[in-house]
Amino acid sequence: MAEPTSFITTQVGSWPRSQAMLKALRGYQKKTISRKAFNAVAEEEIRCTVVLQELAGLDIVVDGEHRRESFYAFITDKVAGTQLMSLAEMLDFVEDKSEFEEMLRTMDMPASAVKNPTCMGRLSRREPLALEDFHFLRTLTNKPVKITLPGPYLLTRSMWVGALTRTAYRDPREMADDIVRILREELIDLRDAGCDFVQFDEPVLTEVVLSEECGRRTFM
Amino acid sequence: MHVCRGNWSKQEEVLLTGDYARLLPALERMQVDQFVLEYATPRAGDIEVVGRALSDRELGLGVVNPRTDTVEPVAAIVAKAEQALAFYRPDQLFLNTDCGFGCFASRSVNVEKIAFRKLCAIVEAARVLRKRYG
Repeated sequence: MAEPTSFITTQVGSWPRSQAMLKALRGYQKKTISRKAFNAVAEEEIRCTVVLQELAGLDIVVDGEHRRESFYAFITDKVAGTQLMSLAEMLDFVEDKSEFEEMLRTMDMPASAVKNPTCMGRLSRREPLALEDFHFLRTLTNKPVKITLPGPYLLTRSMWVGALTRTAYRDPREMADDIVRILREELIDLRDAGCDFVQFDEPVLTEVVLSEECGRRTFM
Repeated sequence: MHVCRGNWSKQEEVLLTGDYARLLPALERMQVDQFVLEYATPRAGDIEVVGRALSDRELGLGVVNPRTDTVEPVAAIVAKAEQALAFYRPDQLFLNTDCGFGCFASRSVNVEKIAFRKLCAIVEAARVLRKRYG
């Protein structure tokens, strides 16, 4: 059947994680299981997610982001100069700790549940961010595929933790220049590899314009 | 490029609220082919806001909420897409979820069974729309 040209269906990117996937992710982060073992679990999960999308009849498929701690924190695995840090750990570097904790409670996000990709040094790609994800996904389906990447604004907002980042960069703008360069390199790599669709995620843009009006915040 | 209002809690009242109007000056300047936008939640406002300003690009229209346990009726998805057709051609209009089902590994906002049924509803709505509008 020819690919449809109208009302093309797809999803934004991430899929619910299984217990097995979460266990493998925690094991990999604590270095109690190898990268190879972690990838074996992730690849099995990705296979299942692709099958489900084909079964549903989706036109453009994603890999479900099973390898990722979150849609942006996963870059600590790929980018030099970063460290995965729980918000609980970050509390030490926040000026008003009790206010920050209270904010998270109000937002229904416990500090232990979210991890931040904190910038601790000069940033550069240690390895591609998502090119391998694309190559693997390409082997699983003949349908067009979408790869998701965190956007430059989201990354600049979350990676800059003044007390830790100032050792490497003067200000967020200087760090942002490196983030944009890294994302641009990745986008070009994905394009050259034949990726059909690259989506940049910028959920926090809404906070800039909406927070004041609706009195709510995000932690990213 | 994808924009939403947060996707970490099933409590809708803790997530951000407001339409895209104040973001338009920034969105208009971005050199991207498609905006993938949350629209299944009433917190995102009217499609008209984006339709009037950004119809020179594609719209990835959010038609299902990844955080709810009930699956959106196909007719409701079709109706939402038809609102967007006032501004977009069928080939510019993509149908998608509002956001991911598990943006944070340890805080998936849904279970696989419901996520799958929501994808099926999107696909069924697309079939109806293609029949109606080609």
